[in-house]
Amino acid sequence: MSFLLPCPNCGQRSSYEFDFGGEYHSRPSADAPEEHWSRYLYFRTNSEGVQTEWWYHRQGCKGWFLAERNTSTNEVRTTFWPEELKSRVAARADSPPTSDSDH
Amino acid sequence: MPRSDAHPSELIDRTRRLTFQFEGRAYGAFPGETIGSALAAAGVKTFSRSFKYHRPRGLFCVTGKCPNCLMTVNGVPNVRVCVEPVSEKAVVIPQNCWPSLRYDVSSLIEKFDFLLPVGFYYKTLYRPRFMWKLAEPVIRRFVGLGGWRKPGGQPPHYEHEYLHTDLLVIGGGPAGMATAKSAAEAGIEVVLVDDQSGLGGHLRIHRRNFSDLTTGSSRPGFEIARDLARGIEGNREIRVLCPATAIGGYEGGLTTVTTKTRLIQVRASQIVAATGTFEYPALFGGNDLPGVMLGAGALRLLHCYGVKPGRTAVVVTANEEGLALALDLQQAGIRVAAVVDQRPEPQESDAALKLQRLGVPHLFSSAPMSAHGRNGVRSLGVGPATGPAAQSTMKTFSCDLVCISLHRSPALEVFRQNGGEVRYDSALEQMVPVAALSHVQVAGEATGFRDLAISTLQGRIAGLEAANRIRPPDVARSESLKRLRISLDAAEEPYRRSRSLLKEPTDLSQGKRFVCLCEDVTQEDMRLAVTEGFDQMELLKRYTTLSMGPCQGRMCLMPAARCAAQATGQSVAESGTTTSRPPVFSVPMGMIAGPHHHPVKLTPMHYQHIEAGARQMDMGEWKRPHSYTTPQEEWKAVRERVGLIDVSTLGKIRVQGRDAAKLLDKVYTHVFSSLQVGRSRYGVICGDDGIILDDGTVSRLGEDDFYLTTTTGNIEFVEKWLKWWIAGTGWCAHVTNVTADLAAVNLAGPRARDVLNKLTQVDLSPAAFKYMQCAQDEVGGVAAILLRIGFVGETGWEIHYPACYGEYLWEALLDAGKEFGITCFGVEAQRILRLEKKHVIVGQDTDALSSPFEADLEWVIKFHKEDFIGKSSLLAAKTRGIDNRLIGFVADAVVEDGSAVVVDQQPVGRVTSARISPLENRCLGLAVVPSRLAAEGNSFQIRSNGQLVKARVHGPPFYDPEGIRLRE
Repeated sequence: MSFLLPCPNCGQRSSYEFDFGGEYHSRPSADAPEEHWSRYLYFRTNSEGVQTEWWYHRQGCKGWFLAERNTSTNEVRTTFWPEELKSRVAARADSPPTSDSDH
Repeated sequence: MPRSDAHPSELIDRTRRLTFQFEGRAYGAFPGETIGSALAAAGVKTFSRSFKYHRPRGLFCVTGKCPNCLMTVNGVPNVRVCVEPVSEKAVVIPQNCWPSLRYDVSSLIEKFDFLLPVGFYYKTLYRPRFMWKLAEPVIRRFVGLGGWRKPGGQPPHYEHEYLHTDLLVIGGGPAGMATAKSAAEAGIEVVLVDDQSGLGGHLRIHRRNFSDLTTGSSRPGFEIARDLARGIEGNREIRVLCPATAIGGYEGGLTTVTTKTRLIQVRASQIVAATGTFEYPALFGGNDLPGVMLGAGALRLLHCYGVKPGRTAVVVTANEEGLALALDLQQAGIRVAAVVDQRPEPQESDAALKLQRLGVPHLFSSAPMSAHGRNGVRSLGVGPATGPAAQSTMKTFSCDLVCISLHRSPALEVFRQNGGEVRYDSALEQMVPVAALSHVQVAGEATGFRDLAISTLQGRIAGLEAANRIRPPDVARSESLKRLRISLDAAEEPYRRSRSLLKEPTDLSQGKRFVCLCEDVTQEDMRLAVTEGFDQMELLKRYTTLSMGPCQGRMCLMPAARCAAQATGQSVAESGTTTSRPPVFSVPMGMIAGPHHHPVKLTPMHYQHIEAGARQMDMGEWKRPHSYTTPQEEWKAVRERVGLIDVSTLGKIRVQGRDAAKLLDKVYTHVFSSLQVGRSRYGVICGDDGIILDDGTVSRLGEDDFYLTTTTGNIEFVEKWLKWWIAGTGWCAHVTNVTADLAAVNLAGPRARDVLNKLTQVDLSPAAFKYMQCAQDEVGGVAAILLRIGFVGETGWEIHYPACYGEYLWEALLDAGKEFGITCFGVEAQRILRLEKKHVIVGQDTDALSSPFEADLEWVIKFHKEDFIGKSSLLAAKTRGIDNRLIGFVADAVVEDGSAVVVDQQPVGRVTSARISPLENRCLGLAVVPSRLAAEGNSFQIRSNGQLVKARVHGPPFYDPEGIRLRE
C-alpha cells in the first residue's frame, strides 16, 4: 500500500502519512433500536469499487477529510472537506440522502 | 587460470596488488576487480555447494544474479562475490560445505537422490507425526545458504533514504542512458539506477565493434559505453545511483532501490524500465558443472577483469552473438573446440566465415546433451538439436569451459509489479510487454529487440514521451518524437523478420538437468511434479520451490516455463510464468529494518532527573524517572511532607470555541456544559461501543475555553478523536495539542500549600482554592495553570507552565520546598500512591473490553444527557447486566501484575495492578473478577509465581477512604 492521497490542505502525499478512518456512514440517533446500533458499530459495506471514506492527515495538517477511493485499485478519485459532502450527495441523485451529519 | 594480456577494456589496475583471505589462505587481486574474478584468476573453480545435493558450483552469470557464488564476506552471509569488489584484507568464507568447498562430505547425499524426489518431505516424513520433528533439524543442517551472523562484532549499518523525482530510469545501458539524456534535455529531473559497477550495460563487456549512432562510426562496445557514461555523469540534471538495484515496484510510482547499505524509496511521476535482458541456462545433463557458464559471464571475466575463464571452450548458441563470442575467446588465446549451433542450416555471416578460416568446427542443428566431469566440466557430448539422440550421432568434445549463449530473458519484474502485462512473443522468443502503462514505459532490449540502434531510439523516445507526460506539450518535442518513431518502426520490422525459431531438445539425456540452480530442481523433478498433478506454473513453483531461491527466478523462470510447456504439451505462451513480486532480488533483513531509529521523547526536566540520579524507565516513547531513591522513601515523603513529580508526559489539549462545551458533552460520558469557569472535573471517553478509550481531567478556563489532560500514550488518539467528531458534526470548536508546549508537575503532600505559597500570589487557602478548582496565575514569575486535583490522594496542585521554563520552575519549587523536606518522586512511588486511592489507570486497569461499569467508574456516566458517544451501548450493557468488575483487594502475600484470579482451580479473572503498600505493609491491588465475586469481604485466590495466594475484596479506597486529606 503506497498510493498517493491528495490532502485538500497539503496536496499529494504518501498514504503512509494518513490514518484511515473507515467508510463514511451515518450514526443512528441515541434512541434508535439496538439493531441499528449493532449495524453501525459492527457491520461494514466492504464494497468493491468507489467508496467515500474518512482519512486523517496524521503526519501533516492533522485534519479530517473525505476521499472517494476505488477499493480494488486504490485510485483516489477526489478528496474534499466534510462540509462539501451534502452538496456532493445532493448533486448525485442516485445516492441515498444522509439524515445525520455524523459519521 | 592465467590472466589474459592487458587491454583498455579492463576495469582493473594491474600496477597494484591487494591481498585477501579465502578459506584461510591468502590470495592476490588487482584493485578494481571482484572477489569472484580474483578467485577465478587464482584457479578456484568451485565457488559454492548446491542447496540440496551439495554439488560443486562455479562462476556462472558473473553479474550478481545467479546463486552460484554466494559466500560470507567479512561476516556478512550470502554475498555474491562475482560482483563484490575486492578489498584489502577481506575475509571470505564459503558456505554450505564441510570441511571444505573442494571436499564436502555432504555431497554424498547425491548418491541417495532416489530417496529424495521433489517434495520428499511432504511424502515421507509426515507419519508418524513425531518423524518430522526428528527430521527437520537434520534437514535444516544439510540444506541452506549462509548462517546467521554470530552475535558480537560490528553489524552492517543500513540506512533508508527517500527520493522524489520526475523520472526514474531503471537500467544504465544504452537505452537507459539515451532515455535519461533526452529527458534531461527536455528539462525534467532524472534519477538513473544501474546494478553493475558502472554505466554502459552489456556494451561494457564487448571489444567487438558496434555502430555508434551518435558519431555514425563503428567502434568497440566498451569505448561507446565509456563515452556514453561520461556524458551522463557530466549531466547535472541526472542523479546516478550505481551500483544500485531496483528491487520492487509499488503503487503510486514508488520503486525501492537498494545500494550496498541503503534502501532508497524513489517516488517518480514517470518510470522507464530499460532493464535489458539476461541470458539463462540451457538444459542438458550436468548443466550446472563448474566450467559451464553463461556466454556474457565468460566475456565479462575476460574483458572486464582480464581472467581467462578456461583453456578449451565449446560455445553453445543459436545466434550470431554466439559466433562473435567464439571469436572473442579465440582471440584471447582460448581454444574453441566447437561451436554448437542449434540453427538448422549454415548462415552466411562474417563471423561464420572467420570461424571457418580459423578452423573452428561449426556444428549446425546441434545441441548439448551432457557435460561430464567431477569437479568441473571435462567434456561435452553433443547431439542433434531435434529428434531423439542416438548414441551413434553423439559427438564428444574435450573442454574445460562451456559457454551458453542461447536464450535471453527480459528483466520485466518492475514493469510487471507496476501492473504491466507481458506475453510470450514467439517471433522474438521472449516475454515482451503488452503495452506501456500510463506511468511506466519499457525501452531497450527488455522490449525483445537486441540491437543497439533500436535500443537507442527507444530510449530517446521514452525520455521525450515521459517529458510530454509531465510537462505541458511542446511542439518541438512532439515533432522530434514523431520523427524518432518513424525511424524506430523502420528499424524494428527487418529485425523481427531476421529471427529464427529455437527448438528445445526433446529427450532426456544423461545426468541431472538443472532447471533451478538455487533450489536444485531438475527437469526430472518438474516432470514428476506435473505427473503428480501440479501442472500449472504457480503450482509447480510452490511444490518444487523453483524460482524461490536467491535468484528469485531470474535464472530459472524461463527454463521452467519451457519445461512446463514441454511436460504439459502446451506452448510457452500458454504455460506462462509466475507472478512477479518484490523483492526482485534477495535483500538482507537488516536493510529492510533500516537503522536503529527509536524516537525518544524527553520531558523539559529530563536532564535534571538524570543529575538527581533518577532510574529511567520507558513509557511509550517517553523516558520517565522510575525512582530517585527508593519508592518507599518517596512514598513516605509524599504522605508525610511534600513530593514533586514531573508529569509533563500527560497529554494536554485545549478545546476552544462556541461549541466546545457541546463537543465535550458529546465525547465524554460526564457533563461539562454545567462546569463552572475555574472548576475541573474528571472525565472518561468511550467509543460508541461503550468501551473506555481514555480518561483525564477537564478544566474550564473560560466560557469557551477548556483544558484537557489525557493519558500519556493516548494523546495523539484523543486529538484525532475530538477532531473527527468536529469534522462529522461541523460544530465550532478547535482542538490544539499543547503537550509539547507545556511542562507539568504535581506538587503533593501535607506541606504542598506551604511550598507553593512561597512562589505565588494566588490564595491557596482551603476555602479559596478548593479541591477540583483551577486557576491561571503566575508561579515563580511564570504564567501557569494550577489544577487542584489529587491523583496521589494528598493536598496538591498540578502546575502546567511553558516548557521553556521547565527546569527553572522545577528548581524553584525544590528550593522553596527545601525547608519542608521536599522530595522528588518517580513513577513507581506514584503507582503505589494512586493504588492506595484505587485510582484507575486506563490501559493498565482497563482493556479492550472494559466499559465504565467494568472499571468501577459507573458514577461518570450521565444517562440523563440527550446523547453522548457510547450512550446506547452503555444503556444496553446496563440492561443486560455486567459480567465482570474491577475491584480492590488485599492479598496475604505478594502477587504480580497480570496474575490469574482462581476459583475452584479455574482462572476467572486477572490482577491488573498490585503493589506492596508501605501503609500497613501489605499487598494491595486491583483485579477484574466476575461480578458474583465482587461483594465486599469476599475472598478468592490468586495464582502468582506458582503459588496460590488468598485475597479479599476491599471496596473503598485503602487510604483515606473519605477523601479528607485531598480536600484539606
